[in-house]
Amino acid sequence: MKILMFTWEFPPLISGGLGMACYGMAKALLSQGIKIDLVLPTKELVFFPLREESDADTLPAVFIEPEKHKEYTKRTFSTMHERLEYIGISAHPESYFNLNEIKDYVTSIKTTSWLTETLTTEEHNIWKEMTARLIGEEDLIRKVQEYTFRAHRFAEILDYDLIHAHDWLTYPSGILAKQISRKPLIVHIHATEFDRAGGTGDERIHKIEHLGMTYADKVIAVSQYTAQMIMSRYRIDTAKIRIIHNAFTVSEATLHNKKRIFKGPTILYLGRVTLQKGPDYYLDMADKVLKVHPEARFILAGTGDMQRQILRRSAALRLKNRFLFTGFLNRKQVERILQAVDIYVLPSVSEPFGISPLEAMAYGITAIISKQSGVAEVVHNAFKIDYWDIDLWAETINHLLENPEECTKIGMEGRKEVQKIQWDEAADKIRQLYAETLSEYSKQMEL
Amino acid sequence: MLNIVFYFQVHQPYRLNHFNVLDIAHNAKIFDDKLNGNVMRKVANKCYLPTNQLLLELIEKYEGRFKVAFSITGTALEQFKLYSPETLDSFKRLVDTGCVELLGETYYHSLAFLFDTNEFLDQVYLHRDLMQKEFGYFTTTFRNTELIYQDRLSDIIFEIEGFKTIITEGVDRILQWRSPLYAYKNYSKNINLLLKYYQLADDIAFRFSNRDWPEYPLTVDKFIHWIDQLTLAEKGGKNLFLNLFMDYETFGEHQWASTGIFDFMRHFPDAVLAREHLGFAHPKDISHLANYQQESLSFPEPVSWADEQRDISAWLGNEMQQNASETLYELLNRIKEKGDEELLRIARLLSTSDHFYYMCSKYFQDGDVHKYFSPYDSPDQAYIYYINALAELEELLLR
Repeated sequence: MKILMFTWEFPPLISGGLGMACYGMAKALLSQGIKIDLVLPTKELVFFPLREESDADTLPAVFIEPEKHKEYTKRTFSTMHERLEYIGISAHPESYFNLNEIKDYVTSIKTTSWLTETLTTEEHNIWKEMTARLIGEEDLIRKVQEYTFRAHRFAEILDYDLIHAHDWLTYPSGILAKQISRKPLIVHIHATEFDRAGGTGDERIHKIEHLGMTYADKVIAVSQYTAQMIMSRYRIDTAKIRIIHNAFTVSEATLHNKKRIFKGPTILYLGRVTLQKGPDYYLDMADKVLKVHPEARFILAGTGDMQRQILRRSAALRLKNRFLFTGFLNRKQVERILQAVDIYVLPSVSEPFGISPLEAMAYGITAIISKQSGVAEVVHNAFKIDYWDIDLWAETINHLLENPEECTKIGMEGRKEVQKIQWDEAADKIRQLYAETLSEYSKQMEL
Repeated sequence: MLNIVFYFQVHQPYRLNHFNVLDIAHNAKIFDDKLNGNVMRKVANKCYLPTNQLLLELIEKYEGRFKVAFSITGTALEQFKLYSPETLDSFKRLVDTGCVELLGETYYHSLAFLFDTNEFLDQVYLHRDLMQKEFGYFTTTFRNTELIYQDRLSDIIFEIEGFKTIITEGVDRILQWRSPLYAYKNYSKNINLLLKYYQLADDIAFRFSNRDWPEYPLTVDKFIHWIDQLTLAEKGGKNLFLNLFMDYETFGEHQWASTGIFDFMRHFPDAVLAREHLGFAHPKDISHLANYQQESLSFPEPVSWADEQRDISAWLGNEMQQNASETLYELLNRIKEKGDEELLRIARLLSTSDHFYYMCSKYFQDGDVHKYFSPYDSPDQAYIYYINALAELEELLLR
């Protein structure tokens, strides 16, 4: 079985948990014999034919323009990193595209076969709606336009059985590919605009999310929490929704010993510094804990639009040198910081899944996670607290600081637990869903 | 008689490395030796060496009638030794002429006066000892960091043997109708005050090369004409003091050589000394030159020479600056209690006011000046590195 997979993130292109989830999933699917043609928002017009498990790490690339491909295969790269740089993969997803290359997406798309095909009225409306929603001058929207425009070519030239698209950025591509190939589409919800915005968010994105889910044959939600959101906010037919929890790939780094930075107990927030992730709640709990335990150290790792606000307020609260900012951390640095902390907190306001606590737990770190998260559904050896209950967060941290043995014990239990939450099981469910979708789809076609 | 009092501030901080949380407790270097060396060598070549040479020539030419004062911080002097020993030699030659007064200040160019009187005194004595050791000079005029002054400072300085005069900014809200040209006394009338004449000083220091300034270009003729006019009001034969205080880096660094700043300075003494009612003086000369009852001035709140506000908001105006400085002084005291000299040295290098200046988040024109002087992308980034350095320092203390 061969899957055309669209995603915005895949290591080394990572800005959040999406990339790690896609990586773990793809690797496990490959090990179960599924073939994947992966399309990323690369600068160059390439796709990644993944056939074996190790391909998820090496990312073999194919240029779809023969001339360019010849050029690429002739080149020698000293490192994999150098090769990926050439294709246009750098550390931050926002740097993929060269915006100058982008033509007017909406006009160019009209010249394609899309509108000349026989469409049902419903389909036609969906497409009109979607292209209308994609009009915008922001960089991200323009990048999505470009990605979708290219997806058209991949959808035409590649051969596949099923399309799998991750999050709204790639839904237009998924819809387009389905239309072109008449192959079934599965959309995967890692987060909705409601989660990201912590409020209403961007209406265009809601519409695109809604269209993707409506047009898809199946919808994968990463948690019960997300499935609820899809049903209540987007009114998607429940029969289409499957809950498949994310999992976690234990890396070798987790086996390393603790390498402390601070003598005092160390607490970590790791994630984007945005409303969705609750960094302001983190600051408030730090303030409360430090009044009782000034020996504690709070680290805020990550960047985001709330960093300035949090930074200024940490100073205003006079948290001294006990509330520290790391800025953006790459994978290696994340691993190093995880070796140095005792308690991990995830105070997200809305977290569809939340893979990072699993990684922290794999390091034997005691995790305290928001009840408003999908990950809370799958782990037992972690504290679960409503994100807004600052007093309880602070009390829990204080309790752990005052009972370090208990903290270590829970950390160790958690470590054992997450090692069982492997991608193989989740991939197995995804594979079954693929098969189910395909057979339903072929029956539909026969009718 | 109007005495022109030139005082030049010579200071370089030890700038921090981009110090990350992951660098803590890993023997990483807090200070950016490479950057500090580069800056020192650059400024030495553009400013210190050529300007010292020019002043030396002028002093020799006028045989004692041309005088200037310097305040040289300990951190600058140390970095002369490290990165530009010839600069230190050239300052020594200048001091040896006898036409240079050296002022006293805090060794580390710190804000200790505002936080910790004991630490302030320690740093003042360290600086006085340094001036004696390096130049054989005993300081008798005091200049606090960035001309920060308030009544309480005069009480502390009065208690230190030898200091007779303090210099500070001629702030309008203190002077009101009075002129900064007179010598004043502090609020308790036991120490002299000399006040910077900021309009004319800043014409040279800030506006000299500004083409948007209506008076551009500033010529010696124009400047001396303005000075002539200042003396018209005073007919009682009183000795006045035109205090032109500025950063020494004005010459060749803030105002590049191509702006004509060196030519201006080369010809200015000619114009001054050609006039009978004009001359040059040192700050210390005020004691015998003031031939009138000196009015006393009270400064209940701290003033400084920075920005439009001329207060301490450039270093302590926002919460990042306040949290950072409070944390430093708390840590510094814990280090003193433990008696760790090595860490005390680091804490003192972190007490240099520039670190807080980089965290200034005031906008508009003043913000631009801050940005010009900052080695970091933003005030937030400066704060992050500084707080990380303080976390490192604390871990070293807990070692």
